[in-house]
Amino acid sequence: MSGTRPISILIAALGGEGGGVLTDWIVAAAAEVGFPVQSTSIPGVAQRTGATTYYIEIVPVAGGELPARPVLALAPGIGDVDIVLASELLEAGRTIAGDFVTPDRTLMIASNARSYLVVEKMAMGDGRYESTRLIKAIETNTQRHLLIDMAALASQSGAMVNAVMLGAIAGCGRLPIPADAFERAIRADAKAVAANLRGFRAGLDAAGTAAPPRGNGRAIAQQSRDGAALDELERDISVPAPAHDVVLAGVRRLAAYQDIAYARLYLDRLARVRAADARANAGGLLVRETARHLAVRMSYEDVIRVAQAKIDPARIARIRAELGVKPGEPFRVTEFLKPGIEELCSLFPPRLATRILAFAERRGLSERLHWGMEVSTTSVGGFLRVWLLAKLRPWRRKSHRFHEEQHSIEAWLGRVIAAARLSADLALEVAECARLIKGYGDTLKRGSANYRLIETRIIDPVLGGRMPPARGLDAIASSRAAALADPEGEALTRCLAEIEAQGSASIAAE
Amino acid sequence: MQALKLGDGETFRGEGILAVTKALLQSGVSYVGGYQGAPVSHLLDVLVDAEDIIGDLGVHLETCTNEASAAAMLGASINYPLRGAVTWKSIVGTNVAADALSNLASPGVVGGVMIILGEDYGEGASVIQERSYAYAMKSSIWLLDPRPDLPTIVRMVEEGFELSEASHAPVMMELRIRACHVTGEFKTKANRRAAFSGKNRLPGPPRFDYGRLAHPPVIFTQERRKVAERLPAAQHFIRARKLNEVIAGDLAEIGIIALGGLTNGVLRALERLDLADLYGVSRVPIYVLNVAFPLVPEELHEFCAGKRAVLVVEEGSPDYVEQAVNVELRRADMTTRVLGKGALPRAGEYTSEVLLNGLACFIAETRPAGIDADAIAARAKSLLARKTQATAALGDIPARPPNFCTGCPERPVFSAIKLMQRELGPTHISADIGCHSFATFAPFSLGNSILGYGMSLASAAAVTANMERRPIAVMGDGGFWHNGLVTGVASNLFNKGDGVLIVMKNGYASATGQQYLPSSAASRLGAQSGMSIEQTLRSLGVKWLRTVRSYSVAKMTKTLKAAMQTAERGLKVIIADGECQLARQRRVRTEEAEKLKRGARVIKVRFGIDEEICTGDHSCIRLSGCPSLTVKPSPDPLRSDPVATVIESCVGCGLCGEVAHAAVLCPSFYRAEVIRNPNWWDRALHRARQAIIGAFTARGEAPA
Repeated sequence: MSGTRPISILIAALGGEGGGVLTDWIVAAAAEVGFPVQSTSIPGVAQRTGATTYYIEIVPVAGGELPARPVLALAPGIGDVDIVLASELLEAGRTIAGDFVTPDRTLMIASNARSYLVVEKMAMGDGRYESTRLIKAIETNTQRHLLIDMAALASQSGAMVNAVMLGAIAGCGRLPIPADAFERAIRADAKAVAANLRGFRAGLDAAGTAAPPRGNGRAIAQQSRDGAALDELERDISVPAPAHDVVLAGVRRLAAYQDIAYARLYLDRLARVRAADARANAGGLLVRETARHLAVRMSYEDVIRVAQAKIDPARIARIRAELGVKPGEPFRVTEFLKPGIEELCSLFPPRLATRILAFAERRGLSERLHWGMEVSTTSVGGFLRVWLLAKLRPWRRKSHRFHEEQHSIEAWLGRVIAAARLSADLALEVAECARLIKGYGDTLKRGSANYRLIETRIIDPVLGGRMPPARGLDAIASSRAAALADPEGEALTRCLAEIEAQGSASIAAE
Repeated sequence: MQALKLGDGETFRGEGILAVTKALLQSGVSYVGGYQGAPVSHLLDVLVDAEDIIGDLGVHLETCTNEASAAAMLGASINYPLRGAVTWKSIVGTNVAADALSNLASPGVVGGVMIILGEDYGEGASVIQERSYAYAMKSSIWLLDPRPDLPTIVRMVEEGFELSEASHAPVMMELRIRACHVTGEFKTKANRRAAFSGKNRLPGPPRFDYGRLAHPPVIFTQERRKVAERLPAAQHFIRARKLNEVIAGDLAEIGIIALGGLTNGVLRALERLDLADLYGVSRVPIYVLNVAFPLVPEELHEFCAGKRAVLVVEEGSPDYVEQAVNVELRRADMTTRVLGKGALPRAGEYTSEVLLNGLACFIAETRPAGIDADAIAARAKSLLARKTQATAALGDIPARPPNFCTGCPERPVFSAIKLMQRELGPTHISADIGCHSFATFAPFSLGNSILGYGMSLASAAAVTANMERRPIAVMGDGGFWHNGLVTGVASNLFNKGDGVLIVMKNGYASATGQQYLPSSAASRLGAQSGMSIEQTLRSLGVKWLRTVRSYSVAKMTKTLKAAMQTAERGLKVIIADGECQLARQRRVRTEEAEKLKRGARVIKVRFGIDEEICTGDHSCIRLSGCPSLTVKPSPDPLRSDPVATVIESCVGCGLCGEVAHAAVLCPSFYRAEVIRNPNWWDRALHRARQAIIGAFTARGEAPA
């Protein structure tokens, strides 16, 4: 009893992206050419940035030529969808998981831009869902697919993403509706017509020449810096090829962070790792990874570094661009700083600092003593305050924090090298643990504490031969993951307990 | 909106809910009202926007403060020939309205009464899964469930009023969310002015008639009338007017009995099994129940006559229709086998997948002559087979629940609660209905119970009495006026209760589309109502009352701690004051655009994060969850974790900065302001500053 079949369109979007308007545009365009059309949506429940869908059925025959009024469905059928139009990559994937996409039939028009879920964003490390997995699923499950960076096209054309989506579906070649019918639908709305038409045309063109998926790879920034001494130092870099670009970036970073001598110290430290890498024939991978973390650890975040970053002219330029400041337009930048007694003491000489901190600890001040300030770095006074802090750079070497950091860096580096004697993989795992130590205030405290836990309860036992390296390898990896699972540290505590339980069990077994 | 003015024989094009509005006007209603809630909020919004049009017809409109007052409005039809319609979200709204409904249904009505309910299962649902059908049965209110197609919906509204008058019973019409928003067209009639209305008022009340009261002893007579007079009258009308439809089919030995609202889905599933076509012609006979309750025995007997088996398709639980069908067939001593729940799931939404599966089961089970049942089973199997493959490809994709909008004034309150709990430890959070219930999702995950609209404080009463720490009840101004004031506050004070109540004063019923409230800065009638939450609470006798600007996280945290720790007993109320950002942006954007055009001075604010200072820990996101605060790959080649970033959609509410301070996060956050159309002083000052700062940066070697 088959014959004429409606073209079914499933739109996947987020609440607030104008999917309702998009749906109305498509319906209007179809109605204009006389096609029977019906749309439905489920607003209300999926408002406010939640995932939502819209469903449209178009009978591609003029209503007059049909034997009777068609009865159209209100919800997409499993495996019964011709076109999926998704404003976001994960939502495109959701339509596949919902099984509305079939290789024999479905054209997927999706944005390859991501709008991250809260659960992805709030992770303490990197909680992002693999885009590559989504793209692969799209490639294998659709009959045809157009992946377009709709977000970029929208912002370039100053339109909402829904206009770009309309252009994309108008240009996809699956709807027997002329493009100008869609344009007339936009005009008929008489809302932000110019912008919507720009967005529409951007989408239309993109559908003609579908852009390739965006890669996540980043080239290492070549922020070339002048100064003969640095050039000379850079020439001195002698590390395995795979590590070279990282080491170069590290050298430049540290020269800027402190001075040439500090950058040289970085290379000297790496020399030891290089030997270890060779012994464990890690093929330069150990040097590369250690160099990456070492540079980050040596350029630890302190007041001086923050001050340097805040008055960097390049930064102001970036902010102007973000804000769309036109030449001659006045603008203000206000920083939210809240240094505590610890940040302050980190600048003092070791003896003084330790005394003050001990006192603060006794009085329970270290938690409470913070100075919240809003500094405008575009006002002369505010700028000077930050500028003076940045000028403290030479003093950093004499500071309490500097001594502390160098000490713990050496300790960590020593363990990396020691681990390399057992296996390259183990050394890599130990090196990777440096990742836990980052940030400011509570974050830094939490991270360092977690690192120390893993160091004392897994790394040292392994190095001391009290835990087989093979098990140590997994233990370090899993406990590092656990440390990044929740800020309360519950996962890590559980993980360490389990590991030690296993340990005693296996000893008992022996 | 103009579609509501269409006259005889014109073509209406638009959404289902707008068609319902037009149908009400075509039916000559004298009064309309209701309480907003998805999916029927829009009906009320349309009525409010169309107040001039309905005003010309003398139709009285009330935007009620809750569903009980909306239901009570219908009392006008008990004595007078006035047609009235009200709307609300079911099941919850019907629960609130239940008392008035019973007292309305018992004496019955003279003027037609139509109650439009939004009801849903599965994907479309936002409340507890229960069927309004139960109310229809117990109160003898007739329940319409029309095919989701505009001509049928409109016809059901119009003839529903006649059904109500012919049987002296109220009528409910149930619409699923997709039916409310389905687009289509129908031939219109001119709007009808009611015999009696604001334009032509009633001379006065009828002679005193005790029989019209829901009061003993007449309630006993009324109960008899419900079953002895009204029910048969209704069944006769339904049959005479053919409100239910029969789709004939050549496979006469089986049949499908489907609720009207599910018919399109059933037909599409049959089409995919090659048992129907695109135009609603089916090989399997279908009895379409546009009237879900009551069932018409004669019609049922005729449909089932000569059938070996029928499949009842009704969504949700219990299986009321299936039970009724079984009873009626048994009474008629008919042996037709009845399938329903079992072939179809006992609960949940009847999606295309579910229906496809169920119908295939039914065919396989009954194997009617004239078709290859196995081929059809195979067809269904192949259609459903892919499911596993797709899930294998992606696994479970994490859900994307709704979230507070960018700049929402309610989010900072939950940031403050999180910070307070860090110091004082976790406490029982009694959540409520409204946008603030989004705090039950990540990153806040705050809330231990939700007991209904405006019920948060009342639902904490027994917890307060049994827990060390004071519970915190969160309530919106919507919930406060809906019934939180009486059910919660008055009851707490009356019982000398303790505990903390946070009232989110954002000025609108925001979750349902920014409808006005008693305490809104304006009303649909223009002027402010003059009702104030603060004054109301004071006059009730609340002693501990603080109003805090909701964006001041530090102050809010301090106030919360005070409320939790003070030795003072009794209810402590914190009013979190901050206008709904959606509504605010709608206003401010147009104002600013207009200012810019005029060349007036405008300051554009946006927050930002220094990517070289952020280390990718994301505590800021765990304390905010703002849609504009997200992550991006770190520009630092030496770091792997993504850094936080503020995207274009930022409205500069300032929460980022507040949280960075209150929680002592990191120094990455900055506020950037640009002055559009600056005056000479702005320019001069800026130039001077730039000159001096420029000199310094030029002198010192370029910093990192």
